[in-house]
Amino acid sequence: MIGFMVRRLFWMALTLWVVFSVSFFLMRSVPGGPFDRERVLEPEIEANLKKRYHLDKPLVEQYFIELGKVVSGDLGYSFKIGDYTVNEIIQQGLPISVALGLLALAFATILGLVAGVTSAVLRGSWSDLFLRLAATIGIALPNFMIAGVSILLFVFIYPVFPAAGWGDFDQLVLPSLCLGAPYAASIARIARTSMLDVLKQDHIRTARAKGVGPLRLIVVHALRGALLPVVSFLGPAVAGILTGSLVVEQIFAIPGLGSHFVQAALQRDYTLAMGLVLLYTVLLFVMNWIVDVSYALLDPRVELK
Amino acid sequence: MSTFYRKLLVWSILFGIVVIGVWSSLAERLPPADFTFANESEVKSIDPALVTGQPEGRIAYALFDGLVRNDPETLEPLPGIAKRWEISDDKLTYKMFLRDDARWSDGSPVTAQDFHYSWRRLLNPRTAAEYAYQGWYFKNGRRYSQGGSGITPGDSVEVELNLPPGALNTLRGQVLRGELVRVVEREKDTRDYVVRIEGTEVCFRPTDDVEASERLPDSDCRWCRQVLLDFREVGIEVIDDFTLKIQLEHPTPYLLGLLGFYPLFPVNRHCLETHGQPAWTKAENLVNNGPFRMQFRRLRDRIRLVKNEHYWNQAAVQLQVIDALAVESLTTALNLYFTDKVDWITDVPAPALRVLMAADPPRQDLNPAPFLCSYFYLFNTTRKPLTDPRVRQALSLALDRAEICSRLMPAGEPPSLSLVPPGIPGWEQQRAAAENNDEARRLLAEAGYPEGKGFPRLEILTNTQESHQAISELIRKQWQRELGISVRTRNEEWGAYNSSLHQGKYDIARRGWGADYSDPNTFVELFTTDSEQNSTGWSNPRFDQLVVEATRETDHRRRFEILTEAERIVLDELPLLPIYSYHSKNMVKPHVRGFYNNARDDHPLWAIRVDRQSRGPNEFQRGSR
Repeated sequence: MIGFMVRRLFWMALTLWVVFSVSFFLMRSVPGGPFDRERVLEPEIEANLKKRYHLDKPLVEQYFIELGKVVSGDLGYSFKIGDYTVNEIIQQGLPISVALGLLALAFATILGLVAGVTSAVLRGSWSDLFLRLAATIGIALPNFMIAGVSILLFVFIYPVFPAAGWGDFDQLVLPSLCLGAPYAASIARIARTSMLDVLKQDHIRTARAKGVGPLRLIVVHALRGALLPVVSFLGPAVAGILTGSLVVEQIFAIPGLGSHFVQAALQRDYTLAMGLVLLYTVLLFVMNWIVDVSYALLDPRVELK
Repeated sequence: MSTFYRKLLVWSILFGIVVIGVWSSLAERLPPADFTFANESEVKSIDPALVTGQPEGRIAYALFDGLVRNDPETLEPLPGIAKRWEISDDKLTYKMFLRDDARWSDGSPVTAQDFHYSWRRLLNPRTAAEYAYQGWYFKNGRRYSQGGSGITPGDSVEVELNLPPGALNTLRGQVLRGELVRVVEREKDTRDYVVRIEGTEVCFRPTDDVEASERLPDSDCRWCRQVLLDFREVGIEVIDDFTLKIQLEHPTPYLLGLLGFYPLFPVNRHCLETHGQPAWTKAENLVNNGPFRMQFRRLRDRIRLVKNEHYWNQAAVQLQVIDALAVESLTTALNLYFTDKVDWITDVPAPALRVLMAADPPRQDLNPAPFLCSYFYLFNTTRKPLTDPRVRQALSLALDRAEICSRLMPAGEPPSLSLVPPGIPGWEQQRAAAENNDEARRLLAEAGYPEGKGFPRLEILTNTQESHQAISELIRKQWQRELGISVRTRNEEWGAYNSSLHQGKYDIARRGWGADYSDPNTFVELFTTDSEQNSTGWSNPRFDQLVVEATRETDHRRRFEILTEAERIVLDELPLLPIYSYHSKNMVKPHVRGFYNNARDDHPLWAIRVDRQSRGPNEFQRGSR
């Protein structure tokens, strides 16, 4: 177990280093720099600016300066939001993205489970067909489509939710719905399959023979067994939701990491883009690690090596 | 054991979800603002000396206040911190008399020294202010801001010495004054400066504080941060606490307007030197002198402004609380407007605009109006065949601008044959030759490309934006149709596009230019030979001479005549292809008062008030189409 952890940590460090190096050189190889703007800068002024950000030095030297800073946890000042450091921006944005992501996940789990179980129990009926169709659509549709349609429906036609923003609970509903929809669909499909499996098993038949009511049978006896594959899906889902909120955050003007990431990329905010890429890498790694550990806890046959 | 873990895991996840759900629903609820507007994007900074751009400007105008304010409707200069001023007969000296009741938000008075400090900071090369050239109208301002390149032997100079590394970055090192004896070029971009200080010649070598602290220079020079023109040579002089004398490089008829432009607004020295850059811009540290204070700033969410009780003219400020939302997407902003979450949006996405403009009866809250901004293409006149004026002329003659505007410009933007857009009082509009397809074909044949045969495949470069791409596509078709030539279109992201433009890596490139001040000069001077903006390679000595003459002319009418002649030259030789002039696309709720369409699409927040009971058209609607 400890060996596993150490190995994982080592791989994470290595991956971070590779991600850093690749992003560093990629970002600097695209044409146009952070100081290209409408007004040409006086050469002296531009030289000063470049000096401040070490851009006057050779690329390799810049690389080591940046690497040293990142290793020490200093991601520097954002190029484009000059009043803030990247660490401050992440401090403001991460809790928002996490809250949005967890809400989306809660929504996805609840809706997915209900739909999946209903669909399994009513297998072959019209409701089953409808739910499966909805799940397929949910997986296939990109979330900006879902966002557009749901804004039309719930903001303009039936004005129940605000169009955008962050702060009030009602502002969270639509974005988390849109963000969670594809995951709800996946969960529904997984839950349906595993539920069908469980329903065929002997202990369900025994329970039914002993006169257990249908509701109790499903919720208490069958669902327990059917839950395992769903739980194991949640790990990757968390990572996917946290790193996949870019579009939804833009549409709903949510000040989370996704919005920062999109704008950092568009505006050549080298430092902010780098910080976020590294953060996303860490998030993905940690999530996968948690999933691996939880597998081992849930299923004794899995050994962590 | 495994069931125990399973249960534990499931329940802890569920528990976590519930906790987060509750937590986020309990997140502090903001009391609603009196007035909310969509401020396009997250501002780069709130430091008035460092920013450019409209979203930044709106915040800077709210937080800071200058010598002069611009009237929200006419943009005429109104007394601000300067209660009155005297202008010398040669128009080169301005004496500004400051009011004694202007206060910083910490209660201290705003004095002439604050302007002296802030303008030196703006001009200082170390500040790297993009808008530093707004201080070049002051005598020697340009030379000061050019640092080492702005001085020649014999000048009185100031040498700023290094501070220990880690010193607050807003502090200046010790300043020595002397006379520059000579400049020793060492290698590219590194120079030593020999300065005579009190009779002894000392050699100074600029470097950063870290190097200065780590080692000694390898010759008998001394380290310094920078060598500059002595700031006392710059035409900014403090007479007493409330009198400021400004001397100009040239008579500048629009100077008062510039004094009301945010780069020349003062910042608080004590605040900067206590907290450093950029910590002084944090809401808890900020000391400002404008109509509003910053309560907080949430990145990519909002800046909340509250009325500044120390503002000298606070009686005129009606709004108590303002939210400036950073909404990047135009569609999202429009949704917020339609659901009454914001009172003002600054732009409308084109497809929606088309529908809204066609509404019957016409919408009162959408009232596009011309402002001083031109949309044109630049010709790279160093590339064949654009070197030939007949080709440029032919390309202009063959354009159907009316088709472009009617098909692609829903806000009613008018086609333009001019460089200077309409709307400057007293300015007579000049036009390039009117469109004429036969003449275009004739000129093209004369240039050696009958029916477009042999015409090289040129490329139109735009920055990435749907509307620019649509226009370039249509122009491509028009030229194909009328001249038989085929051009390509290419788009680049903003940064890359600007760098291509400045390096002259284009054939034909899209450009928009808005006025910093309401004067034709802001457009005409773009095309002088040494203008940083002139990437066309076009150069005309007579034109350059006229622009210089105009800067020296004190008579208003004569000056306009000179500029007219200059614009005439540009429109005859066409290093640019005029296309249309801009319309603003504000949408403003009927209960918003004190919002006017004006020539620069500037809308100061101090003039705005909200009257939810008001009936009938507001000021925005009254000045209607």
